[in-house]
Amino acid sequence: MRKEDTVKLISAEGFEFVIDKEAAMVSQTIRNMLTSPGSFAETEHGEVTFPEISTVILEKICQYFYWSLQYARGKETEFPIEPELTLELMMAANYLHT
Amino acid sequence: MGSACSRKRDQLDNEDSLHRGVTRIYCKSGSSKWLVTTFSKPAVDMQRGKGQCPSLMELCIYKTREDIDRYKTFSMLPRDITQQIFNELVNSHCLTEVSLQAFKDCALQDLDLGEYPGVNDNWMGVISSQGSSLLSVNLAGSDITDSGLMCLRVCGNLQDINLNCCYQISDYGLQHISALSNLTSLSFRRNGTVTAQGMSALAGLVNLVKLDLEKCPGIHGGLVHLRGLTKLESLNINWCKTTTDAITDADMMPLSVLTNLEKLQISCSKVTDAGITHLKGLQKLSILNLEGCPVTAACLDSLSALVALQCLNLTRCNVTDDGSEKFSLLRNLKVLNLSFNEITDACLVHMKGLTNLESLNLDSCRIGDDGLANLTGLQQLKFLVLSDTEVGSNGLRHLSGLINLESVDLSFTEVTDVGLRKLAGLSSIKSLNLDARQITDAGLAALTTLTQLTDLDLFGARITDSGTSYLRNFKNLRCLQICSGGLTDAGVKNIKDLSSLSLLNLSQNCNLTDKTLELISGLTGLVSLNVSSSRITAAGLRHLKPMKNLRSLSLDSCKVTANDIKKLQSSDLPNLVCFRPE
Repeated sequence: MRKEDTVKLISAEGFEFVIDKEAAMVSQTIRNMLTSPGSFAETEHGEVTFPEISTVILEKICQYFYWSLQYARGKETEFPIEPELTLELMMAANYLHT
Repeated sequence: MGSACSRKRDQLDNEDSLHRGVTRIYCKSGSSKWLVTTFSKPAVDMQRGKGQCPSLMELCIYKTREDIDRYKTFSMLPRDITQQIFNELVNSHCLTEVSLQAFKDCALQDLDLGEYPGVNDNWMGVISSQGSSLLSVNLAGSDITDSGLMCLRVCGNLQDINLNCCYQISDYGLQHISALSNLTSLSFRRNGTVTAQGMSALAGLVNLVKLDLEKCPGIHGGLVHLRGLTKLESLNINWCKTTTDAITDADMMPLSVLTNLEKLQISCSKVTDAGITHLKGLQKLSILNLEGCPVTAACLDSLSALVALQCLNLTRCNVTDDGSEKFSLLRNLKVLNLSFNEITDACLVHMKGLTNLESLNLDSCRIGDDGLANLTGLQQLKFLVLSDTEVGSNGLRHLSGLINLESVDLSFTEVTDVGLRKLAGLSSIKSLNLDARQITDAGLAALTTLTQLTDLDLFGARITDSGTSYLRNFKNLRCLQICSGGLTDAGVKNIKDLSSLSLLNLSQNCNLTDKTLELISGLTGLVSLNVSSSRITAAGLRHLKPMKNLRSLSLDSCKVTANDIKKLQSSDLPNLVCFRPE
């Protein structure tokens, strides 16, 4: 995988998730960060830090990105959400326009 | 974190929306409870077709709904998220008095509980806990009482309250909202107990823009309390009457100072021409509904002073030719409904100059072919109703130049097949009602150029199998009715490929068999299907399985029982809510 095809998402605790850019762009917020020229440092480094999103939530979000891509390609499975994560995940989803 | 939820105020305009009204009916019977969850799925869910991926936000909200018992409070969430959870619970009918508690002190802005089952005073604590955040509350159809309404006193920023069909609210209850001076919209339709005196509670609501008191029979004499509500733009006092009492001319007087009124509805009151004189000064009035009022053409004197008037409903009034020359003064009219008045061609002469007219309803008037000659200059005309008139084939030539016509109703006229040729050039026609016995296959043959047709009513027209071949030209048809008995399964072959159909009525065609259902099984867009009085049997029902959108199915007087349909409903037709036999 070429580096320019990936992005690094960094959680509040500093945990790094390297995922496909295509997957990350499922989030409207991340898409804006990566595509608006010059305005975000993220565009250059391919790195986005989320000081308000915990590792466990960010992992779930990355899973959703990939699930969403599969769904769009016709693989319509259930996306499991653990009840104890729902509210925190919801706030992150709201922020990420996902 | 950003806000993803915008407040949808428009939905509150939809007082009569079928949506939850229907579901409430079904909630009351336990056996149909499953319908509640299937039929009332949230809007987002309905729109989500195959392949469209649900957002993570949606998935989380559905999950929250599923696990709602886990949550004691949502007050730590941003309000826009809480609002989405609330709406989801309401739309899916999962909100209960218990789960409601989690929404205490959530600073919610919109609580749309209109027609929601079980809402009563016990809900008011949580509702009022939204405090000054609450902008809009819909309690229509609830069991809220006067004392429950008292709770709203603390919601000082309320802009919009809907108390339609809240039968337990009286004059006393209205006092509790009399200080909510930020209110811009208030509705309490169908309240039988509020009196003229109770109306005094409204006097202080100086910011009211919209007031809806439809079917409140006791309010006559109380409109005097509205005099200070000069911001009022819309007032609905339709049907405020009993056998003895009604809105009268005297009630019109206080309205004369409400010069910002744009929309006034006083249908079925006892207002006469004398009362209408009080409206002369309403220079912004653009919509006036006088349906069923004992007014005559003499009121046109006053109405001609209303320079902004665009829509006028005079259906079932006492309008005659006498004085009808004043119609010519209403030059800005776009919509005119004169149905069920004793007017003749002599009245239509005065319509000539109403060149802005887009809609004209002459249903059941005594007009004929000659009268239509006066309509030739009305080039903006889109909607024309000539049902139940003396219009015949000769008159239609006067319509052939009205190239903007989109909807023409010729039901129960004397129009014949020959006359229909005059409409062949009007390719803008989308809706055509030809429900008349003398129309036959030949008439349909004359109309094949109308390829934009979406609605075609041939209910009583004598269409046979050979006539159906012309239907192939109408690929955009959404609604089709052919019910005069002349069709067999062979004719249905020409209907089976009309894939845009959502309503199909083939009842009274007693020769149709199960083969018909097999033929139309590919019409999966059908929402309503009627093949009553035919030879359909229970064995044919299996062909309906692909019709996942079907909400209404009528198979009366067929060899089909209610149980047969119920079986199909539970196995294959989740959206079916209305069926016969029942």
